[in-house]
Amino acid sequence: MKTKKIFVLTAAVLIFTLLSGCSAAAMNSNSWPGLSATDETVYLANGGFVYAIQVKNGSVIWQYPAEKADSKEAYYADPILTEDNQLILASAGSNHSLISVSPENGRLNWTFGDAEDTWVASPLAVDGVIYAPNSDGKLYALDLNGSFLWAKHISDSALWAQPENDGEYLYITSLDHHLYGFSKEAKETIWDIDLNGAIPGKATLDENGALYIGSLDSTMTAIDAETQAILWATPLEGWVWDTAIIQDGALYVGDLEGYFYGFDAEDGAQLWAPILSDGPVTGTPLVTDEHILIGTETGTIYAFDKEGGIDWQQRINGKLYTNPVEGGELTFFALMENESNIALIALDVDGKQVWSFTPEK
Amino acid sequence: MWDTYLITPMTNVLLFVYDNIGHNFGVAIILFTILIRAITWPLTGQQLKSTQKMQELQSDKDWQAIQKKYKDDKEKLASEQMRVYKERGINPFGSCLPTIIQFPIIIGLYRSIITALAATPLALLDLSRNLYSFLDVAAIIPLNSHFLWFDLGRPESVDIMGFAFPTLAIVVVITSYIQSKLMTPPPTSGDQSAAMGNMMAIYMPFLMGYFAMTFASGLALYFITSNLLGIAQYAMMGRANWSNLIPGKK
Repeated sequence: MKTKKIFVLTAAVLIFTLLSGCSAAAMNSNSWPGLSATDETVYLANGGFVYAIQVKNGSVIWQYPAEKADSKEAYYADPILTEDNQLILASAGSNHSLISVSPENGRLNWTFGDAEDTWVASPLAVDGVIYAPNSDGKLYALDLNGSFLWAKHISDSALWAQPENDGEYLYITSLDHHLYGFSKEAKETIWDIDLNGAIPGKATLDENGALYIGSLDSTMTAIDAETQAILWATPLEGWVWDTAIIQDGALYVGDLEGYFYGFDAEDGAQLWAPILSDGPVTGTPLVTDEHILIGTETGTIYAFDKEGGIDWQQRINGKLYTNPVEGGELTFFALMENESNIALIALDVDGKQVWSFTPEK
Repeated sequence: MWDTYLITPMTNVLLFVYDNIGHNFGVAIILFTILIRAITWPLTGQQLKSTQKMQELQSDKDWQAIQKKYKDDKEKLASEQMRVYKERGINPFGSCLPTIIQFPIIIGLYRSIITALAATPLALLDLSRNLYSFLDVAAIIPLNSHFLWFDLGRPESVDIMGFAFPTLAIVVVITSYIQSKLMTPPPTSGDQSAAMGNMMAIYMPFLMGYFAMTFASGLALYFITSNLLGIAQYAMMGRANWSNLIPGKK
């Protein structure tokens, strides 16, 4: 009888542990690190903590929170700097917090916690207003003191990407397959376009008023922001996760099948045959003076030239999902799931590792 | 292996059902549960046979004699009982098997619900690599996670005067208890397997209720549907032991 009791209790404990494990994994690691940088400081949002790290040597300037992580907070969105020098952090934790800290010392300025769901997207701070899209489908507007101004329902689905801005309109992408044109003055959606697939990444706007959006429909689409006419659309091999980047009339993007593309932004013509990397590409390519850099889930960093040739590639022990960023003369890649618990590496222009950062346990 | 043979097929079946029944994830879970019940039908049949044999054994004179003879020697009693089980081809755990077999299904379904709803970037990325080619998932993502008054991807509760009342969890406890009791043979003194069944009938509903209260409510919907189907199945087969529901009645 005792043996049977133990058997039943063991089975119960086992299933509870397995379910809790799944749940905890889902809660604790629901996204990948966020990254942004200036010439002096790189900011890494790495789940429980946000770190300010010196560009020159990788030493930590401060971490937020300073002591113990709050289990209800999970910072993964790219931290953003406001015009009045605040660092805005968005939490995908159960507290639904949007917070402002000092970029110099990490001290808390204010917290906004009234959204109904988590923050996956980075907010946009422009003209004294913080526009923050939330997973509850609303766009929240706060002033620079963190005071609530208004919230507008945009979609019944989650908003996971930072809005694009042209001064008059915000261009908001949603998982509901739509791109929304939102008037900042009228504070309402003026138009929307169905792109046939969820859009987790941000729309890219060029100087000619064309918007470029990749979607889970495996299509790259160019849209005239003024007329909403589709300028061109081209099928890709896989889902497009993040934002395409445009420079000098060329559009660069990667997909989840591991292909890297270059397009002529004007007509969508491919600049080269799609290049197959060794794993899914989730991050936005980084365009520097010398290279176009991408990281793959498999852990390889590729440096392409502007003609699609590979200048160098560097194998890293870890998964690369985050958008790489540039600060000073270095480029930064955030890592996930590597044996040494390294969270960030800095590379020079030739792909040589200059330093790495491992958070203290 | 766990992902390949359990989570991925379950996720794809759920998405396939969802895509073909009007994009309602709650209905997809209910239909999926019916499918699971159909697949495990032979096991349920085995369970009923096992229960029937156990019931017959209670009134067997040899069995009663063994109980009486070795009532003060638990070890000897257990070994004699095992001998009888063996001789008559009875699996004393036969009645527990369908419950035990539910464990991997519960874990698999929970993971599948979380994977299919893809409420976070990592979950959506995970979903993207676990899809069969016949599904056009890009067209149906994001899934509608709302069913009746609850969100299937989150624990359910109804706010009553400021108190979060876990209605689904309570329904899970009640239906699990009813189902367990209907399946449990009437106990006789000293019979360990019947006592085991009774113990399961008490512990399991509360355990299931706790799971339902703590985890995604899609799991609670699975428990309730599965329990109701089980009760209906036993009733239709004429094997339901309704007298067990009346307190104090043996």
